[in-house]
Amino acid sequence: MSKKAEQSESFIVEGKLALPYAYFAGRVGSTFITTIRDQKKIMGVRCPACGTVYVPPRQVCDKDFTDIRNNWVTLGNSGTVVNFTVVRYDDRHLPRTAPFVLALIKLDGADTPFMHILEEVAPENVKIGMRVEATFAAKTTNTILDIDHFKPAPEKVRMTTERPEAGRKAWTPGDEPEMQEKRRGGKPDMSTPVIITAALTGAATMKNQNPAVPYTPAEFAEEANKCWKAGAAMVHVHARADNGMATHEHDRIRATHDAIKEKCPGLIVNLSSAVGMGKTAEQRISQIVAVRPEMASLNTNTMNFSIIDRKTGKIFIDYVFENTFTMLQDFGKAMEENGVKPEIECYDMGGLDNIMLVAKQGFFTYPMNFNFVWGVAGGQAFRAESFIAMMNALPPKANFTTCGVGTEEFPCIMQSCLLGGHMRVGLEDNIRMPNGEFAKGSWELVEVAVRIAECLGRSVATPDEARMIMGLKKK
Amino acid sequence: MGKRVAICAVAQVKNVPAYRQMRFQNMLLECFESIMEQTKVTFDLDKGIRNIVTCSDDVFDARTISNNGVTDVVGAHFRGEEKMAQESINGLGYAMASILSGHDDVILFMGHCKESQTESRRMCTNLAFDPFYCRPLGMDFQNVDALQARAYMEKSKVTDEHLATIVVRSRKNASRDPFARENRLVDEKEVMNSPMLADPIRQLHYYPVTDWAYGMLLCCEERVKEFTANPVWITGYGSCMDSYFIGDKDLASNFSLKNAAQRTFARAGIRDPRKDIQLFELCDHAAYQLPLWAEGIGIADESKGGAWIDEGGPDSYNVNLSGGQLNGNPLLLGGAARAIECFLQLRGEAGKRQVKGAKRALAHGTYGAAGQHQAVVIMEI
Repeated sequence: MSKKAEQSESFIVEGKLALPYAYFAGRVGSTFITTIRDQKKIMGVRCPACGTVYVPPRQVCDKDFTDIRNNWVTLGNSGTVVNFTVVRYDDRHLPRTAPFVLALIKLDGADTPFMHILEEVAPENVKIGMRVEATFAAKTTNTILDIDHFKPAPEKVRMTTERPEAGRKAWTPGDEPEMQEKRRGGKPDMSTPVIITAALTGAATMKNQNPAVPYTPAEFAEEANKCWKAGAAMVHVHARADNGMATHEHDRIRATHDAIKEKCPGLIVNLSSAVGMGKTAEQRISQIVAVRPEMASLNTNTMNFSIIDRKTGKIFIDYVFENTFTMLQDFGKAMEENGVKPEIECYDMGGLDNIMLVAKQGFFTYPMNFNFVWGVAGGQAFRAESFIAMMNALPPKANFTTCGVGTEEFPCIMQSCLLGGHMRVGLEDNIRMPNGEFAKGSWELVEVAVRIAECLGRSVATPDEARMIMGLKKK
Repeated sequence: MGKRVAICAVAQVKNVPAYRQMRFQNMLLECFESIMEQTKVTFDLDKGIRNIVTCSDDVFDARTISNNGVTDVVGAHFRGEEKMAQESINGLGYAMASILSGHDDVILFMGHCKESQTESRRMCTNLAFDPFYCRPLGMDFQNVDALQARAYMEKSKVTDEHLATIVVRSRKNASRDPFARENRLVDEKEVMNSPMLADPIRQLHYYPVTDWAYGMLLCCEERVKEFTANPVWITGYGSCMDSYFIGDKDLASNFSLKNAAQRTFARAGIRDPRKDIQLFELCDHAAYQLPLWAEGIGIADESKGGAWIDEGGPDSYNVNLSGGQLNGNPLLLGGAARAIECFLQLRGEAGKRQVKGAKRALAHGTYGAAGQHQAVVIMEI
């Protein structure tokens, strides 16, 4: 039988499924859509347990099953394109004729991007990362199309979203007098860009305290990348095994270091020479010599380094962190000989004095870079006058940054920024935001530091600027 | 290892763009009669088929309870009949579970879909999206897959050239399968010149509209000799569903496929899929999905899909020698088509595309936009 004959004998029923229906959007959906319709505002819901801000909003958090229906937050009507396609076919279910752009847009303040139409831009000019804003429909249809579409928005400085060049501007070192001179009379030198360091893990912060703590090299790379995008020039790293335990295994530390460098080649990686509790001096320094990061921590006193209930004084873990003068000398020399710049960790004024004693041997290169650490159980608590005393005790041309455990993080970094120093934040030191909510990652704490810098009018250092300031050799 | 379930026989009609002269009931009947012929199974209430699992879709059949339209041709009168309104590979998993749980000894598993009946397959998949937040925007599987393609190609350095080689290879492989949809052979240049549908997916990157039906007979280990001398065993099945909203997930992460595969491997005792499995049938709705799913099941290194194509990964691991979903099977039935190819290969009945000495194969199915749902089956002789 010919094809034509076959077809003529096939009776094809031309039908149509068309079914008007009514659909209850739910209480959450109703609030979402009426707010768009009546107030031209886009709302999301925030999970109080994990901090995720969802759009479209929903009743229950997908991650931890927390009831989140009443935790509304107003999002920006603008956001960033994170993915898109150009629809080049016409079909009856499509809201526009081809070609038109469907984009995944991450609204300012939201964690989950949502899909919408992007117009007023030629498809070939759409880029991931472009800023867009909502245009609301002139006439409501009581659907998601009450946001008629998104269109390109002017770039503007924002506080909380990802920006690879967060608050950064070009800086070149001028013919500046010694910092010591400029600080005379208590006048801070805020002319240099501020270096923000993200301490991603430490040895003790675990995922059960904050799930954003990275363990695997890939997780470190991802978190480091987010911190870099948020404004960090350096990450401080204690590598972990898959089970979360701090490790001195060279291969794992190298894999972690290299994963970060592969993901963010420009970022400065600063490895810990403390590693974690109970490690021998050999285990602590041999990995630094093996991996040769740009920078590594150098701890200055033998001291209590314990875990104590801050409210009751109850001792949970009592531990002596050993850093003898011999270790200070041997670690310092090993680092300098291998081109690793020490970050000198001072937990109190005594530690600073210790390092200046061994520094008389003359093996440290200048400038020396100090980190004032506050709030370790065994070190000193943050006090503004102690900070100033330590700053004034620094050798010439020295740089200083600071970090604080728990809630001491924010006042100490603010003071440092104010006095011309640098800032370290991150889940190693503190797992919460200033309002007490869990930080979504070290990157969110970096965003707080960026905001502090912005408020004080200091630009945020790029990794290369940080190298110039701290005297590092890029590797 | 626990009990095993056997696939005793498979049957299928040829994949074609449109069966104008055959209703889906007729398509199923051909498969049904072939299964009866091959196995001599009966509908005796003591020893024969008492339970049937079917797979079909209401929207493609343009009626509610689409299985009700095929009750007679699958022999389900006065018997148990249940429909899998999901990717067909889950019907295989369900039939397996029915036997392992002791629910029954013998299960007939059949499925059909005529994509050609709809004016637009995209309009059907638009209905998979919720009516409120997503559907009015015109989201369908194709334009959402395009977002995944963009994210994945960026992550794993997969290029338009790579996609072209995947399409060319798929059609070439399918030309050796008498049941495959007959598609014109193309070269890389033609693929790269085919019109863009939803950037970066081109027309030839996407599987074509296809009609198809199939049948399988499954039974418990104890009774397998009654139906075949050459059974193929199902030794593992696992599935996983990712988040619903497209913005909630990392589109290039393979979250749900990795979960499904790992569960399946654990059940089947597979330590290293590269060494322990000789044949892979992956459900690639679009060309970019071949390396993506290969990463997900662990035969391509993470984020190295582009290099995997360059190194000839698909041929060295015997991936989609049938041409895969990309050559054309109906949506919903891709997993069953993959399993049937694995069955034929393991039995040595794959003709010109036969892999010598294959003892264990992996069949994969996926459904939803951007691979939201994933399922994996391990089959062995």
